[in-house]
Amino acid sequence: MPFPRAVTAVAIAGAVLLSLTTSAMAHHSFAVYDHTRTLTLRGTVTKFQWTNPHAFLELDVKQADGSVKHYSVELTSINMMQRVGWRSNMIKAGDQVTAVIAPILTGEPVGLGLEVTFPDGTKKELPVPAAASFKRTTDTQ
Amino acid sequence: MSPRRIIAAAIVSVSALGLLIQVSTHAQTRPATQVPDITGSWERYGFVPGGRGGAQRDPTIPPPATQPVLKAEYLKEWQAKTQAAREAAAKGQPIATDNAHCIPEGMPGMMGAQFPIEILQSRGQVTIIEEAFTQVRRILMDRPQQSVDDIEPGFYGHSVGRWEGDTLVVDTIGIKENVRFQNAPHSNQVRIRERIHLVSPTILWDEITIEDPVTLEKPWQVTYAYRKMPDYTLLEYICEDNREYADEKGLQKIRVNPGK
Repeated sequence: MPFPRAVTAVAIAGAVLLSLTTSAMAHHSFAVYDHTRTLTLRGTVTKFQWTNPHAFLELDVKQADGSVKHYSVELTSINMMQRVGWRSNMIKAGDQVTAVIAPILTGEPVGLGLEVTFPDGTKKELPVPAAASFKRTTDTQ
Repeated sequence: MSPRRIIAAAIVSVSALGLLIQVSTHAQTRPATQVPDITGSWERYGFVPGGRGGAQRDPTIPPPATQPVLKAEYLKEWQAKTQAAREAAAKGQPIATDNAHCIPEGMPGMMGAQFPIEILQSRGQVTIIEEAFTQVRRILMDRPQQSVDDIEPGFYGHSVGRWEGDTLVVDTIGIKENVRFQNAPHSNQVRIRERIHLVSPTILWDEITIEDPVTLEKPWQVTYAYRKMPDYTLLEYICEDNREYADEKGLQKIRVNPGK
């Protein structure tokens, strides 16, 4: 059901305001990512890149027509990740994982990782600054 | 003087001398004012947009930071840049900052401690390390400040410090002109004064005053507070693979899928 335009505008303004007030504590801007929806990707890990300034999760996601679409999922600094218990050996190439991402506004197959479900079913969030400013929706890919 | 009196006087003199030696030895091993132990890891604390006020009455939370009062010829450009950055971010096309290029904040931005900092007190020097970008600044103790003409400008400048009671007083000059704090311009005359002191056994404040006779109408004051992290060891930080870049318009972009 489409939201009334005014409600959507207010929601976007609120999200932007929230991200601006908290962005003072982030090195890199996450304003390039959509704050109004998330996408849930189920795919095969091709690489878990454990680097600064940010880590990346590279995922092959099978499409409805059988083709494979590759997504790059940007994570946060590995320092922030380590402080909340992430480790470089938690994900390896070949793992089947589910990632909730805030897609990039350009439409490219890129997103900001908010949460990952590991092959054993456990979930772990990413320490994204102002994570609550990214509205969770149920779109899947 | 009778022999008895001479002996008595001698005993008193020797005792007094002994006491004097004892006192002076004591003074050498224990300075009159104990320098506080601020060595260790610290995290930014009490970051409240707008600072304390309203429900926030905690005296360990510092007052709100003031904005730079720039001279008219610099103010317009700063306001335009700040506004442009805000509007670009709201459109989802942020302007690439130095951080986006993995360029560290330098002084005084690094004291904002987005990631934890470590303070090390050693003979003749206090060293402050910020985890992000592995930033290091050295405060040379009990030395006169040099002339700005004798210093090659850098990200952290030239810092000298001394203990005034329980406060570490630091003077920094020689900040590179492209090292911007909150986007504000500064000249080679910029001077950063800091008063670093504990406000409780586990909360440290850095009261920063920035002076610049060329760009600022009046001193600019910012106070940062930090909380002790007793069990934390700083992690390494190397900008190993930065996929962010600035496009031809200076906007922050991300290299897509460079090597899956």
